Amino acid sequence: MNFNVASPETNEELFEVIAANQGRNFRFGAGCTDLLIELKKQPEKDLTVINLGYLNDPQFNSIENNDGSVRIGALVTANRITSDLTIQERLPVLYEAANQLASGQIRQVATIGGNLCTASPAGDMACALVALKAECEILSANGKVRVVPIEDFFTGVRKTDLKENEILRSVQIPVNNSGEKVHSGFIKVGVRRSMECSVVSLAYHIQITADDIITLAGIAIGSVAPTIKFASSACEYLTGKRFSEIGSSESEEFATKILEYASPISDIRASAWYREEVLFNISKSIFE
Amino acid sequence: MPTDTHKITFTINGRKMERTISPSLLLIDLIREELSLKGTKPGCLEGECGACTVLINGDAISSCLYLAVNVNGKEITTIEGLSTDDRNAPFDPVQEAMIQHGGVQCGYCTPGMVMSIKAFQEHCEANRFVPGREEIKKAIEGNLCRCTGYTKIIDAVESLFEGE
Ligand SMILES: Cc1cc2nc3c(=O)[nH]c(=O)nc-3n(C[C@H](O)[C@H](O)[C@H](O)COP(=O)(O)OP(=O)(O)OC[C@H]3O[C@@H](n4cnc5c(N)ncnc54)[C@H](O)[C@@H]3O)c2cc1C
Repeated sequence: MNFNVASPETNEELFEVIAANQGRNFRFGAGCTDLLIELKKQPEKDLTVINLGYLNDPQFNSIENNDGSVRIGALVTANRITSDLTIQERLPVLYEAANQLASGQIRQVATIGGNLCTASPAGDMACALVALKAECEILSANGKVRVVPIEDFFTGVRKTDLKENEILRSVQIPVNNSGEKVHSGFIKVGVRRSMECSVVSLAYHIQITADDIITLAGIAIGSVAPTIKFASSACEYLTGKRFSEIGSSESEEFATKILEYASPISDIRASAWYREEVLFNISKSIFE
Repeated sequence: MPTDTHKITFTINGRKMERTISPSLLLIDLIREELSLKGTKPGCLEGECGACTVLINGDAISSCLYLAVNVNGKEITTIEGLSTDDRNAPFDPVQEAMIQHGGVQCGYCTPGMVMSIKAFQEHCEANRFVPGREEIKKAIEGNLCRCTGYTKIIDAVESLFEGE
């Protein structure tokens, strides 16, 4: 494993080094937990790693609470997400996903941007962000910014909508401040509890009014299709219902709708049959 | 923004150092090969096992998945940084607890395990938090041990907080 490293510290330096590397072999490195594993397995020739470890820009590095949204810079680590009080209270699905990712040593360096840009169907924070209908803010080396809904950000297994001269700067998550309750969480099933690439995962974020009506539901599933899937028909099914009146037949119908989005494969970790069984059962379980 | 070799300045176990390194050097190789500190162990080299755990500015990370260029301006602590020259009390309380509770068998995971526990202990003390066994398990989830079955290691960590 042999590569060059450029460590831009300002936006100008970042733009310069991106521009200088167009048409060449380069990769961004944030926490480098995915990148280094990949390069150890498959070294690349004449590679430059654009190391984001010293980039000093609050738009990349901070968590901002705005009215109606939370903006998380791409370089914010899983550990910083788990210690943020607003995220703990208002976005439990993201807190739980970040807290279940890998181990403490990895969470200390793994970034939310890296989790998204790797575009793994098993990405934990990514799955939570799909349930939350986050938007991705993309910056290009000529200074232009564009925003894409997270569903359009993932274009295939390990593929994103990013162009060669673009970098992910932040994600923006809508937050309801009207005081509605949230029923929100992340369920990850793997072969062991820690350090596990999931066999199936489910992210759910449901908003409920004081008089028990579900006003918004976001459901996403991981590791059961080439990309993380947003289960819109299951979300629509819940919207408008009374939360406390969802019984076993409703939760089964809900789980059946979720299964429509799954097209799992059998691999070394689990068979397709097992993944579907588990997905059905954990989907039902969120109302128990 | 130099690209072919990099000059880095850092503190390791309290000593300030400057080094010129190749850009793709991993932190574990800086520590073991260039600085000859062999206490930090190479295990899986894929971030799974935790044997190579060291502290950066007090936080536990896997040194096999960390670029050495990224320690510039930071403080590294390895297992060698915990023991002292004092013959009567050569060990850190975490090491002492591991010995007292039989938390060490073959010993290969021990340096990494101790570093994770050290970071956790300091974090708990800074927040005046006394952890239970579940929290202790979570704190060492990134360190595999194939000998002890973990129970004695968890006992050792628990003992650090007794009387608090
Ligand atoms: C032992 C181990 C266990 C793991 N367990 C889990 C787990 O349980 N759940 C899980 O979801 N993941 C897991 N992972 C994967 C990984 O840790 C996460 O995906 C992590 O969030 C990646 O973040 P990073 O900052 O390390 O990314 P990096 O490795 O730095 O980058 C990942 C990819 O994204 C690109 N990239 C990074 N930042 C940007 C940006 N801002 N703009 C454009 N491109 C960018 C890089 O070029 C690279 O291709 C595990 C990894 C290891 C090694």
